[in-house]
This record gives sequence, structure tokens and C-alpha cells, in this order.
Amino acid sequence: MLDKDCNENKCAEQIKKTFQTAEVEVKREKRVTVQLRSDLIPPFLSFAKEFMEFKHLSHMSCVDWVEDNELELVFILWNYEQQVQIIAKTRIERVNAQFVSVKKFWNQAETYEREFHEMYGVNFVGNDRLGEFILEDWEGVPPMLRDFDSIKYSKETFYQRPGREDAQNVRATIAKHSGEEVPGFAKDYTIRNIED
Amino acid sequence: MMNPNINEKDKRRIRDIVQDFARKHSLWVLAYGTGCGAIEIPPTMTSRYDAERFGIRGSATPRQADVLLITGYLATKTLKRVIRTYEQMQAPKYVIGFGSCTINGGMYWDSYNTINALDRYLPVDVYINGCMPRPESVIQGFIKLQSLIAEGKADGADKYQENLEWYRENQKKIIHNWKMPDYNW
Ligand code: SF4
Repeated sequence: MLDKDCNENKCAEQIKKTFQTAEVEVKREKRVTVQLRSDLIPPFLSFAKEFMEFKHLSHMSCVDWVEDNELELVFILWNYEQQVQIIAKTRIERVNAQFVSVKKFWNQAETYEREFHEMYGVNFVGNDRLGEFILEDWEGVPPMLRDFDSIKYSKETFYQRPGREDAQNVRATIAKHSGEEVPGFAKDYTIRNIED
Repeated sequence: MMNPNINEKDKRRIRDIVQDFARKHSLWVLAYGTGCGAIEIPPTMTSRYDAERFGIRGSATPRQADVLLITGYLATKTLKRVIRTYEQMQAPKYVIGFGSCTINGGMYWDSYNTINALDRYLPVDVYINGCMPRPESVIQGFIKLQSLIAEGKADGADKYQENLEWYRENQKKIIHNWKMPDYNW
């Protein structure tokens, strides 16, 4: 159990006091998550960096919530003194996704932003290096979006050598052998036919 | 004195046999690791498996190399560089496809940016299967290449020249922005 006035709780309190709309949760030791409105992210990052000593941006990532028609941006910050990690999340529109660049707080954000621009199609206002990054001559839907059909694209673009037709679904075969019950939700991604 | 009974064609063959004998014992491999399989190259080359016993050594530049070893999956971006590298190499030159990824896409068969069959784009002389092949099978693949060279059957480079149009068509199908110099070889 966490102490009542441990570093994690103190951070959470401080964030709650300053950003009243934020949903703050102490997940476990050394880990605090913060859910914010997208326009509050820049002030929040600035506040965390300047006033709460979260000097280090350890990671940024992007999650595609195609069901909600939203993209989620995740910022992971680290405080060296208090040994606390903040995971700040926000949701943005999925079509014509746009966000402000956080390059001014941490320079390394530029590289992450270039990647999200290429892989998810997010436009970061204020980042002037959003050109071609890892892919070359890519046209069409950014490949990391979940409505991009990788198998279909691969079948259309690259020559498929015959011989995979009789490939067994290893997971399904093992489950059948051992009489294992695979729960319904897991079937979707473990036991699915190679054709679909 | 040359035996007068040997005709022109056979004379060439004798010269070729001598040449091929020399070639097969000195295979300089271009050190260009493409996929994860490249991790098996250091043990193959160093003391444990000691590929130099068979005359297999690394070379620094394409112009000095005889063998282009494609060690795994190729992204379309890498393929462009590999084609350029291959065309810069001087004949005689050979290609070894290393790992399932080069044969049929391996576990990346459904990826949006890796090719699935290397021989559509470059002439492959020998395939080594496995994911990834161990040094024993790598050396086995090289020995296979050596015997093909000795028999004069490792003629991928000639096939590439003869069927350049077919290869180019396949290459340009996936490399949209084709800005490459034309090499004469
Ligand atoms: S065959 Fe296996 S080891 Fe080789 S590149 Fe493909 S996935 Fe990697």
C-alpha cells in the first residue's frame, strides 16, 4: 500500500489543484496517470516541467481508437528526484488530426512527432520538420492506422509466393489437441483463420 | 604443345574450369546486413565456425565483393539500396538469399513494407532457409554456391542482364520514385 503522503500522492494532489478538469489516478508505486483535455496538454507539460521538476520526457506514443473515431496521444514524464512517472493522455479528432507541437519543451519530441505524422497522419503545428521520415515515397493511408489493411496491401503490392494456403493455425491446432478452452474475446486475435 | 583435337568450345571450358576453381575458393562477401539474420554472420566469420577455411571473407565495398548476402527481410526502402549495391558490384557476382523472409516473406509476409520474394527483384543463386539459419547451414549454403560455381551454373548475374526488363518492371512496381543511375556492367 502506498503511504498517504508519498511522492505519488503529493504529485497527484498538486495536479488536481492546478488542473481541475484533469482525471488523476495513482496507479501504483511510482506511477500516476493524468487524463486531460487536449488544449490543456501544453500548459500541463509546461507546469510539470517547470514547477514539478518532471525534467525528462521519456516517451510519447499514439493510440488509434478507431471505434471512438479518436486518436490518443500519450506523454510519459519522469521525475528524477521523486522517482515518479506521469503518464499524461489526451484524445484528439481522428480525421484531419491536429495537435500543437511540444517541441518547445523537449527537443526530442520533434522526432516522435515526425513519426506520428508519418504513421498516424497527425499534423503537429509548430513542428517544421514533418516531412518524409522513415518510409519512402509512401502514398495513401498512414500505415499504423487501424483501418489500413496491411494484409490486403501486401497481397496487392508484393508477389505472394504460393505455399501458405495449407498453413495451419498453430494456436488453434494446439488448443484443439489439448482441449483448451479459448475465451471468446481472445479468439478474435489468436484463433482466426489466416484467410481473413 | 596444345592438343590439336580440342576445339574452340572446349578450350573455353578448360579456361573457365580453372577460373571457376579459383573463384570458388575466394568468395568475398559484402558486409551488408539487412534483416535480423545478420546476427548469425559474426559467429560464422569468427573463430568458432571460421568461414575463412572455405575462402569466405568479408569485403568492405561493393566493387570488391563477389557475394551479396541478403540476410533477411528487405523493406522496399532497403531494396532500393540493395539494387544499387548489386549493380555496382563487378561480375562475377552472386546473390545468396538468407532466411525465410527472402524466400516467401517469412513472418513478415503480411507487412506493408517488406518484399516477399527476393528472386522477383534480384537473381538469387542460392537460398538458405531457416528463421534464422544457423552458421552450419550458412556455410552449407556457401558450399552449395561453390559447387554451383565449379559447375558453371551460378549464372545469376548473366540472367539478370538478359532479363533486365523483367527485373526492372518488378522493381519499379514497388519503388515508385525511381531515381537511379544506369550502370554499365
Ligand atoms: S527469416 Fe527470420 S531471422 Fe531472418 S529476417 Fe526473417 S524474421 Fe528475421
